Order: sequence, then structure tokens, then C-alpha cells
Amino acid sequence: MIKRIKIGIGSCGLAAGAAEVFDFFKENVRDIDIVGVGCIGHCYAEPIVEVETDNGSIYYHSAKPNQAYLDKVLNMEDDFRLSFRPERSDRELPKVTKLAGKIDPISIDEYIQHGGYEAFQKALKMKPADVVEEVKISGLRGRGGGGFPTGLKWSYLLAQQSGEKVLICNADEGDPGAFMDRSLMESVPHQVLEGMLIAVRATGATQIFIYCRAEYPLAIKHLKIAINQVLDKKLNRINGQEIDIHIKEGAGAFVCGEETAMIHSLEGNRGTPRFRPPYPTDSGFKGYPTLINNVETYANIPIIINEGGEEFASLGTENSKGTKLFALAGDLKYPGLVEVPMGITLSEVVYEIGGAEKGSVKAVQIGGPSGGCIPADQFDVKIDYDSLESLGAIMGSGGLIFIGNNRCMVETARYFLDFTARESCGKCTFCRVGTKRMLEYLENITHGKGQPGDIDFLEDLGNKIIKGSLCGLGQTAPNPVLSTIRYYKNEYQKHVVEKQCEARVCNALVDLYLDQEKCIECGLCIKNCPVNAISDDFVIDNEICTRCNSCIEVCPTDAIGRTARGDASA
Amino acid sequence: MPKITITIDNRKLSVENGKTILEAARENDINIPALCYHDKVSHNTSCFVCVVKDTKTGQFMPSCAAIATDGMIIESESEEVQSMRQMALNLLLSEHTGDCEAPCTIACPAHAQVEEYVRAGRNKELLKALQIIKQRIPLPMSIGRVCPRFCEKDCRRNVKDQPVAINDFKRLAADMHYDTYMEDLPELNGKKVGIVGAGPGGLAIAYYLRLNGIASALYDKMPQAGGMLRYGIPEYRLPKQILDREIAHFDKMGGITILCNRELGKNLNIEELKNKYDAVAIAIGSWKPTSMRAEGEELAAGGIQWLEKIALNNWSGENPWKTIVIGGGNTAMDCVRTSVRLGSPEVYCFYRRTEEEMPAEQIEIDEAREEGVIFEFLTAPVKLTEKNGKKIFTCIKMKLGEPDASGRRRPLPIEGTEFDAEADTVIAAIGQKTAAPKGLILNRWGDIEVDSDNYQMADNIFSAGDCVSGPATVVEAVAGGRRAAMGIISYFNNEKYKESYIINVSRGHWQSLRPDDLIYLRDIRKSDRQKMHFIPIEERKKTFKEVTNSFTVEEIATEGERCYECSCTAKNDCRLKDFAEMYNAHPETIKGEKLRYDFDTRHPAIILDRNKCIKCGICVKVCKEVVNLSLIGFKDRGFGTHIDTAFGEVLPTSCKECGECIEACPVGALDWKEKS
Ligand SMILES: Cc1cc2nc3c(=O)[nH]c(=O)nc-3n(C[C@H](O)[C@H](O)[C@H](O)COP(=O)(O)O)c2cc1C
Ligand code: SF4
Ligand code: SF4
Ligand code: SF4
Repeated sequence: MIKRIKIGIGSCGLAAGAAEVFDFFKENVRDIDIVGVGCIGHCYAEPIVEVETDNGSIYYHSAKPNQAYLDKVLNMEDDFRLSFRPERSDRELPKVTKLAGKIDPISIDEYIQHGGYEAFQKALKMKPADVVEEVKISGLRGRGGGGFPTGLKWSYLLAQQSGEKVLICNADEGDPGAFMDRSLMESVPHQVLEGMLIAVRATGATQIFIYCRAEYPLAIKHLKIAINQVLDKKLNRINGQEIDIHIKEGAGAFVCGEETAMIHSLEGNRGTPRFRPPYPTDSGFKGYPTLINNVETYANIPIIINEGGEEFASLGTENSKGTKLFALAGDLKYPGLVEVPMGITLSEVVYEIGGAEKGSVKAVQIGGPSGGCIPADQFDVKIDYDSLESLGAIMGSGGLIFIGNNRCMVETARYFLDFTARESCGKCTFCRVGTKRMLEYLENITHGKGQPGDIDFLEDLGNKIIKGSLCGLGQTAPNPVLSTIRYYKNEYQKHVVEKQCEARVCNALVDLYLDQEKCIECGLCIKNCPVNAISDDFVIDNEICTRCNSCIEVCPTDAIGRTARGDASA
Repeated sequence: MPKITITIDNRKLSVENGKTILEAARENDINIPALCYHDKVSHNTSCFVCVVKDTKTGQFMPSCAAIATDGMIIESESEEVQSMRQMALNLLLSEHTGDCEAPCTIACPAHAQVEEYVRAGRNKELLKALQIIKQRIPLPMSIGRVCPRFCEKDCRRNVKDQPVAINDFKRLAADMHYDTYMEDLPELNGKKVGIVGAGPGGLAIAYYLRLNGIASALYDKMPQAGGMLRYGIPEYRLPKQILDREIAHFDKMGGITILCNRELGKNLNIEELKNKYDAVAIAIGSWKPTSMRAEGEELAAGGIQWLEKIALNNWSGENPWKTIVIGGGNTAMDCVRTSVRLGSPEVYCFYRRTEEEMPAEQIEIDEAREEGVIFEFLTAPVKLTEKNGKKIFTCIKMKLGEPDASGRRRPLPIEGTEFDAEADTVIAAIGQKTAAPKGLILNRWGDIEVDSDNYQMADNIFSAGDCVSGPATVVEAVAGGRRAAMGIISYFNNEKYKESYIINVSRGHWQSLRPDDLIYLRDIRKSDRQKMHFIPIEERKKTFKEVTNSFTVEEIATEGERCYECSCTAKNDCRLKDFAEMYNAHPETIKGEKLRYDFDTRHPAIILDRNKCIKCGICVKVCKEVVNLSLIGFKDRGFGTHIDTAFGEVLPTSCKECGECIEACPVGALDWKEKS
């Protein structure tokens, strides 16, 4: 018996066409409830349809808005069934995301049916200091990137004797490729709100701001609905006050995710960070003591209050407790979102969960664009704050980008730095000018114009940018460069000294060649070359060729390839 | 107020609680540099030049914002901190565009403050102009006439039309006030220096020593002082009466004695001078002719020797009749033009390359041509013989090959093109060498080897001028002379002289600029350079009268209007420059893109040149926090961050009364247009 059918209509599902599937199912199915839900993390398989039955659920992948597909689903055929690989299911541990994709995100009742707001009710009965204590015991550290102990931060705010205290939820999620927070807000907005309400109870905050990037319309929509439901049920009456909950849509500057910049932005000023101390808990929004936590941090709170800090702390490593969400992207088979216990090894995440073949991944970039690269031979590192840092990377907010064997590490570092350099708020000399100069040096190197001494200069400048920048952006921006120099110095040297890119990625160091043996003279390459670099007798003129790769892509016999500059003519 | 104790660079300080590290340091006279700090506004913490290290945490922090806490141990001038500051300054310089100094001043070997004396001339303040000129040019009468005008070659006015006639400002200022103007001179301090050679180098040494209270005695081998000015430069370029006036001033200064007919190795000896004086300076010039490397060359006269002979004869002499001068330099031009004036009916200049490669000044070539001199290019000497009282000069035609070490294309003989030319006089003006007396340390070109900082050769012997540089110009000789004088003064103080480190950011050479690449404080209408006043050509050919007359005061004032005033309005109070010099930062260390912004001179009194802005944010905060307006703000992000006025409006004229942000701008990005 089918109880109901759930369709993932989170942003990832929508991008794959889930809206059309949802509409089609809604229109053509009479007697079964069709519910739109959030994301279950298996983005590679979207759109996903879940058929809920009395004895568990069956999942379908790659859903289509047509009758044939619908019939398969309704008949619960084997075709298109999504089987969860044990490599992943045995290792993931959905605690924060337990309800994500399982319940209707915009139904407070369904959330409550699944135990929602129990923790909040429990907290209301506890003394604020005890709530704070429980969070301290849990060992939870901020999931927004800084990793600051959450309980400790709360205790600072609690200690403030101020009539007004402000609580901010950092939902700016600026790391490109990261979507943990988005997914939580879309899939379980009430869980995030519950965490905030508990924080209000614990710290005595008097108003809430949720600062969410404007590019997350669905998350904002779900949050708004959830807030109204909370207000309807008067759950915002805490510590004898009615707490206002505001949503502010951020304009999309990465640096506005930094807490002091966020406060400036909320105050209506240019979003630039300022020197700390004073920390926001001493002087934040309009000078009031202010607590800022990340979406995922808040989403962990109900779990801690429900199961107790000690239980929470039983999971993980010495200094990193609980679970962490990671957004897997890049060169892997199964991109998506996954929640794993702290302390799991990187190799499990890469090979088992991500399904990357051994030897196919050169490194992962962890911690977003300003994180660091960890090379494959270090993949047995445990995922926790300290171990990652010792390798020159950071936990960051949970972006995990797989870097395949065919990538050039210099180009990869340049790519990441390009993002942070652009996003610098422009205040600090080192960050504003320094990152730009590092970028130019990297560009020179990838263009074969590197000079001896450039690598040393990059290291020197990079280390100084870290030391001489005000906020985390500048303090971490050089990481991709420094960590790739640390692990792949030979690649840098090859570019600088021999003017060679072994990965054949850097266009300036590469020629194209056409293997006459393999060529079947179909002429597709000639037709597709935008600059007419291929002659009628199938020879590529590398002087004309722009290395756009169009020919390589269209050649049916793989007769065209990239080789070292100057080799093609030889 | 409760006090706390902090340590900065090993000094324990007791300061009030709540102060920033920077405030604590400044109260105790510890100078921490800062660019974006301003005491009237909340901290910007953007420049990171004020960075210090907290040794306990190992962290670097901006001292303008970090509050001093009890027991803190701070490093402010450790090597590590200095290297951070240097990098911050190098980064700021790498995106900074402007002209710390005007290109003319940079081009002048003596670094005379050209823009300033041109401005004085424009204002008809020629005494003031002379005072500025004489700070670097002690021989303005002569240099105002004979200088090859390095400054004008780099003058930005070239972008639009012709350079400002800079040298004529010197000439007029000196004509008018040289005889009467006397510097403020200190009492003589008892030290005395013996100087060998009373040419430009020696005179400059004497001058700067005297300005510092040091007496000197100048010895010269010739009957009169002046060196090349008297015996190498023809009368029609520099009348000797004018030179006499110039030298008379040295006498008037008191403490400078000139002793003539005294020659090293003949009636003068260095050991004696060393004992007699506190220091000795050698400025004997470079007089020995270089060889033509052609058979029979002894039949030709050496250029300088030939001129010297005429000079000794008061610029008169026998008609040399048909004359061939070999060489393409200024001395060759002096010889051909002198030959013309002595009555020679036919004067040739043979040069082995083409006109383009000639080292002589173009104006000299042009004037020679006007006076009837015939040029034969790509012609080199082979041998010289004599027949029937006539000189037979065998030459060969040349062609230009690959560029040689000097960057000029090497002349190569074309086989079979030898020809004979007949002449009455042949003069080889192909260069000079230094004839240094024994006992001096020489470099591989045979010039005197000195320390490049203080021009010291050994113990108390210093040297400057052509004998150090090889044959060069008067202005270069006086520049060297000043350095040697400074070297001697420092030597007397038991120090070693080094020119202070000066950075110069430049928009670039005018040849790489277009008119709209420049920033103009003044109107840039096209206006032609004032025309020189030549005496009639017939008079030029027949007499040794000075070829040109000086400009009038009116003409100089009009010419002064043509100057763009290229240097930065903040050249005397730029903190970026000051700190860059303090921390040895350099504009070229880090290369990279510089963004181009419009400049805004719409306001009558204020210039906003964002190409100089270091994004310190002071103006933004001053306008907001002090003046309670928000007329200036930041735009964009990353490297493209820049300030702008609200809606790009002109700064309101009411700003003129306020001007707070302008006073506060650490560089010249926001500044008054008016220069002092
Ligand atoms: C450049 C920069 C961007 C940041 N972006 C985010 C962000 O998008 N989301 C977030 O939660 N924290 C971000 N942070 C971290 C916040 O400053 C702050 O540490 C965090 O919101 C604190 O919450 P937590 O303790 O729960 O992690 C960013 C920090 C920096 C320096
Ligand atoms: S480090 Fe970069 S982003 Fe952060 S405050 Fe400084 S300039 Fe702005
Ligand atoms: S325009 Fe004036 S300031 Fe500029 S280079 Fe010429 S003389 Fe000097
Ligand atoms: S213009 Fe403003 S921001 Fe720029 S350097 Fe001057 S004071 Fe600083």
C-alpha cells in the first residue's frame, strides 16, 4: 500500500527538473498524497521520488514528468529504483539531516509529529545557564567555518547585562559549491528555527535576524512560512517576551558572511569586517551584545538538548564532536550532501561515499575556496578540526571538492584564489592588493611566464597576507596556493623552469595534435573549429588554435589530444 | 584611571587602560608608522602599516585598533615586523600611480627642482628661481647656456607639442640676479680642502664646501679657471666674459682661493696637498684625445687641443681654410662651427654612422648646418697623408650592421669604397680620455675609481667630474661635485656619506603616454614654445658673438604657463612616500596591474586623483564622522575598490571652507590644486 509519494523539490531537485515531475504527479495522481520535500543528499540521482509504504520506502531516481515513469512508480517496478550503496549508507550518519527530505518542510505539524520543538519545550523548563552548560558539554563547535565552541560563545552572551541582545543566524553560505545550509533551510526550516529559539532561551536574546543570501529564494520562502507558523503557535514567547524574527536578504557578497561584516550590512552600512575585539558578544549589532551562529550550528541544538550534551559528545574525536555535513562536488561519481560522524577518514568519504575510484583523485580541496588541498596520500587523515589544520587545510563550512588526476594544481590554486581575490572587501592592503598580486604571479606561471623566485615570492607574500589581514577571508585566501606549493612544488617548478604543464591543462603550455592513424576523416573537427585552425588534410595549426577543445570534444575516435607545447610539430 | 604595563621593543611603558597600542606608543615617543590612522575618526584598520607583533600569542595585529592589555609584550621594529611593513608598502606602491617628482627634475643629473623654478619664472620671481636653481646648480650662467637639456628631453609637454624651454629659465634668472645674489653663508669652520682642477667639478666641490663653512684652494694647470668651460666650449656658446662673472662669485663668497698655472706632476704634488689640507679633491677633467686608429693620424689636430689653442688666443686665429672634422659629438660640432667663424670657406663633418646615431645635440647639428657645414655620414678614416702642403685624407664608406653594446648599430666598412678627400686642416674630434697622474686608483676605462656613495678614492682623497665619469657634461660634473663635497663633509664628521633613499613613483615616460594619460592641474591648451632669439646668420658665421640672446621676463612668464606642473601636489607631505623610504620599499618590487581612474578637477580648488588613493578610508570617515556629511564613500570590491563621491558629483564648493578630508588624506589623492 502506498501511503504517500514524496518528491524532492529542494534547489538541487528543481535544477534537475523536479518541479515538472511534481506538477505532473500532482495532476495525474488522485488518491495518493503527493508531497514536496527537501533534499536527501543524493544529488547525483535527482529528481528523486520516494514511495512511502507501510513497510518502508522505495526510492526512484531520474524522475520524468510522463505517464510511463509515473506508472513505474505507482506499480513499484524495479526500473529506476534508487538503491543506496552500502558503501555510503554504512558510513553516513544522518542526525542533523535525519528529517531532511523525509518530512514536508513547511508543515510545522509534521515536524512536531516527528518530535520537533520537544527540545525547545524542554529548554523552556531548564534554567538558561543549564541550557548553555549542556551545549558546552556537547563540545559543539561552530559549523560556519571558524569552529569556535558554541557553548562558550553562548555563555558570553548570557553573561551580558544588557536590556537588548541580538541573535543572528548566519545563512549567507558564500562558499561556492557548498549548500549544506541551503539544504537544511529548505528541508527542515523548523529545526533551524528551533535551534535559534533554544538559543534565545539560553542567552536572553531579544530579537532574531536571519541573514540569508538572496540567491536562496526557496530557503527564504520556507523560512518565512515556518516563521509565520512559529508566530501562530506563539513559540516566540520566550523569557517573558515576544521575540521578533526578521529575515534580511544579503546581496551576495561573500565577505558579508563574516560576522562583523554581516553586522555592518544589517546596520545598513557597507559590508566590511572590522577588527576584533570587541567581539560581537560584547558589542555587535548597533552596539548590542550579539550572538552569531551558523545555520548548521543551530540545527544541531535540538539534538543536543534532546539527547543530552554527553550523548552528543560521545560521537567524534577529542576536539571535534558530533557529525558534520559535507557538500561533495568536483570530479567524483556521486556528488551530493552527506552527513558523517566527526573522525571519519577522508579516504572513506572520498572513495566509499563519493565513489571515486582509487587513483582517480589527486587531492581534495576542503574548507571552501580558501581551504587547503589535501593530497591523496594523506587521505587517511581523520576529519576533525585539528587534523585538517595540521595539513594546511581547514574544516571550513563543509565544502569538499574532488580534484581529479587530470587537473593541474597550479591552475586549481589560481582558480580558487581568483574567487577570494574578487570577494575581498578591499579594506586590508594585504588582502586587497596581495591576493591580486598572487593571482597575477599564478597567471604568469600558468602562462609560462613564471620567473625563478616566483614560487618563493608567492610563499612569502601568502604567509604575510595570512598574518596581515583583518578577517578570515584574507587570513585564509592564500591557503590553496600555499598548500598546493607544499604538496605539489614539483608541478609549480615544472611550469616555471621547464614551461611544462604535465596535466596539459594550462593552454599556454599545450599544443593540440591530431593522430592521423586514428583519424577517420569525418571532418567534424574542421566543422567545429571556431577559428579554422584545422586544415583540409587534418593538420592543426597551433599558431591559430585557441585551445578551446571543441575538436577534441567532437572527435568520435579520440584522434585529437593535448600535448606539451612544441611537441605537436615534432 | 588605572594604569597597565606593556612592553614595546623592550621598553616598559605604563599607560592608561583602554588605549590602543599605537596611542600608548605615541604617548611615549615610540613612533609606529600608520597611514590609515587619524586621531579624529574611528579606526579604519586598512593599511596594516602599523602592524606589530604580540610576542605572547605570536600574532600580528594593527596597533591602531588593538587595545593594549596588561603585560603585553609587543615588537614594533623587529626584522619580522619591518618585513611585514615593507611588504604592505610594496603592495600599496604596486597599485599606486602618480609622479612623486616631476620627470624634468628626475632627468636633471643634478636633480634641480625644475618645476619649482619654472613656476617662480612664471610668476616673474626670477630671484626666487635663481635661489632654487643654485641649490643644485652652482654654475647657472654657464649651464643655462651650454646644458644639453636632459630635463627637456623628458618633459611631459612633449606629449602635446614641444618641451618647456627649461634651461632658458636658468639663463635669465642668472643673467638678472647672479651678480648680486649672495647665499646665506655660515662662518668658516677652520677646515680646508685642496682641490685640483678649477673646472665645473672642482668649482662645484668648492661651492658646496663653502655653503657648509669649509674653505678651499682650487689649483688649475691653465692660466685661468673654468676648465672646459673656458678652453673647450667656444665663445659663441659661452662668452668668456660671462664665465668670468660666474667665477667672480666664488671669490666673493670668501674662503675660496683659485691658484692657476699649477699642474699635477709638474709643480703640484698630491702628497704635499694631502699633508697641507684636511682633504684633497681631484677634479682634473678628461682632456686626452682618443686615437683615430688611422695611419698618419698625427697629421690631424685633436679636437679639444685645437679649441684650447684658439681659446688661449682669445677666440681668434688663422683661417684653417678647407677643414674636415671627424666625429659626431658636441666637440666635433664646436670644431666645425669654430672653423666657420675663423673664416674657413668649406667645412665638412665626417661621421661613420648616420645623423640619427650622432651623439651631438640635434640643435648643434642644425645650427652647424645653418652656418654652412656639410655633413658626410657613413664615412670613416683610413689614413692621412700630406702632399704639397695639403692633407690627403683617405676614407671609406660604411654601412650599418647589427647593434653593438651601446645599442647603436655597428658601422661596417664597404669594401672597395675608399676615396681621397683633400683638406687644409683635419681635426679629429672623436673623444677624450682621462689622463690621470700616477698614484691614483683607476678603473678599467682609465678613469678615477671612487666609492659611488661618497666619491672617496682613498683616505682623505675624493674625486669628481669628468675624471671620474669619463667625458660628460657640465651638469653631470656639478652633480658629482656636490656628492664629493657631501662626502668630504661627512668624512670630517667621521661618517660615510650616502644619498638618502628616495622613491619615485612615475606615470611613465612621455613617449609611452597619451595626452589623456596625464593628470593636469592646469589648462592644457596648445601653445608653442617661445622662439629663441638668434643673432643674424652673417654675424654668426663671422664673429664669435653669442649665438642667441636670453629671453625677456615676459617671455619667460609666458613660457612658464606651458608647464603642466607634473609632480604630485603632496610631494612634500606624502606619508606613503615617507614610510616607503623609511622601510626601504620600492615601487618596482612587486609588479602588476594598476587600475586607471578618472581624475576630477571640476572643483575650483581641489583635485581628486584616485590613481593615488591607497583606500585608507580616512576621507570617508572624516566626512561622515567629523563633518557629518557622507559625500564620499567606497565602491566595488577586491582590487577594484575605490572611493567615489555620492553619485559621482563634484565635491561641493562648500568643501573649500571645510577641507577636512583633504588635510587628512595621507597621500595626494585628495588635495588642494595650489602648489607652493
Ligand atoms: C569571509 C568569511 C565568510 C564567512 N562566511 C560564512 C558563511 O557564509 N556562513 C557562516 O555561517 N559563517 C561564515 N563565516 C564565519 C562567521 O564569521 C562566523 O564565524 C560564524 O557565523 C559563526 O557561527 P558559528 O560559530 O556557528 O560557526 C565567514 C567568515 C569569513 C571570514
Ligand atoms: S581580510 Fe580582506 S575581506 Fe577581510 S577585512 Fe581585510 S580586506 Fe576585507
Ligand atoms: S611640464 Fe613642467 S613639470 Fe612637467 S616635465 Fe615639463 S617642465 Fe617639468
Ligand atoms: S582619497 Fe581618501 S581613501 Fe584615498 S588615500 Fe586619500 S584619504 Fe585615503
